Amino acid sequence: MALRLLLLLVTVGGGVLQSTVVAARGVGGVTPDVPLILTVLIALRYGPESGCLAGFVAGLLQDATGGGLVGVQALTKGLAGFGMGLLVGRFWVTNPLVQVPGLVLLSVAEGLGRFLLLQMFHYPAAFGELMLHVILPQALYNGLIGTLCILAEAGYELMRRRTWQ
Amino acid sequence: MLLVSFLLLTVQTRGGGTGRAGELVAIVLTPVQSLLVRVHRGALGFWANYLDWKAVRRENATLRGENEQLRVQTLQAGETREENTRLRRLLVLRDRLPLATVAGEVIGREAGGWVRSLTVNRGRGDGIAQQTPVIMPDGLVGRVVQVHRSAAVIQLLNDPASTVGAVVQRTRTAGLVEGDAGGAVRFKFMARDGASVAPGDLVVTSGLGTLFPKGLPVGRVVKIEDKGSALFHFAVLAPAVDFSRVEEVLLVTGQTTQDVAALFPSDG
Repeated sequence: MALRLLLLLVTVGGGVLQSTVVAARGVGGVTPDVPLILTVLIALRYGPESGCLAGFVAGLLQDATGGGLVGVQALTKGLAGFGMGLLVGRFWVTNPLVQVPGLVLLSVAEGLGRFLLLQMFHYPAAFGELMLHVILPQALYNGLIGTLCILAEAGYELMRRRTWQ
Repeated sequence: MLLVSFLLLTVQTRGGGTGRAGELVAIVLTPVQSLLVRVHRGALGFWANYLDWKAVRRENATLRGENEQLRVQTLQAGETREENTRLRRLLVLRDRLPLATVAGEVIGREAGGWVRSLTVNRGRGDGIAQQTPVIMPDGLVGRVVQVHRSAAVIQLLNDPASTVGAVVQRTRTAGLVEGDAGGAVRFKFMARDGASVAPGDLVVTSGLGTLFPKGLPVGRVVKIEDKGSALFHFAVLAPAVDFSRVEEVLLVTGQTTQDVAALFPSDG
């Protein structure tokens, strides 16, 4: 229960961070999707259920604060978290060399999923433009931030082990 | 030691005088004395240097702290000055406009590309409704698309789903201003015949449809995209407002039929 609450807090914190600090710190108009990165990291560590819950809450928060259709990102991010959680144990996803490209690919897949979903609601942007200006740059940015997160986590683990020894 | 003492005493009592003994002692002791004095002076100097160094270090730390504090104060003063300038411009515009407006502060942003929006700290409780136009001294920012009790979400002009009826101020050529996924703003559906729109022309809201007051600056034409045989051509605009720097806005709650273009700075 305490773990779920902590994950919820991290997810909500990530959403708030996304709409305040991250939105104002874009590079060439591109911003990373911090809630998606957190969802993937949570899914990798705590499995599909936690990943799905984290993705759903993060997406819902982004939908509610961003002005888009409420539920779209909740669905795509929830599925992304669940999918990533399912891969743990089946593939070699604990290796950072797999995690980072995995995050990039998952970001692209989440973007495509979101685009397909939005097509049902007559979203006006063209697919090519969206892919070129939004989905791909954001996926690469996510990969970069994800790498930094994974390195930070690895460094923390190393320090903790040394302190124990 | 006893032997040396007796020897010295004997030398003196036998009439050798104190001179030789004294000289002998002096020969041995003088270098030692000199050395001792130097060591003593050195130690004193070292101690004085240490005390000085300690005092300087303390003073340095204090000065660094003061310097840091002054830098923070300077930054705060600069920030306050800029905020003051922005609010003053907003107030001037608010006083000039023949419209009821509510000032709002930006509390959140969505700039991912799928949706481009701002969240402001004004909502239903402040009389804000859906589709309320949002402006700032430079021009049109967008419109309210979601209203909560004490917050509202503003769809920016460069949002892919944004559409605003506009005209080129100089030629009165009508068209639609739309955002795209790349964050650009385009002036579309301009009739080819007699449009004669040129880079640098100011595009303002048309006032048709009663949603936006007439004459709000939208942007300036940067280039014309002519597709040759098409019925319409479009222009790429540089928005009047730098959306990444918007911090305070005016939400237009009243209506007017008057052309408000003259109330905005001419470079807007």
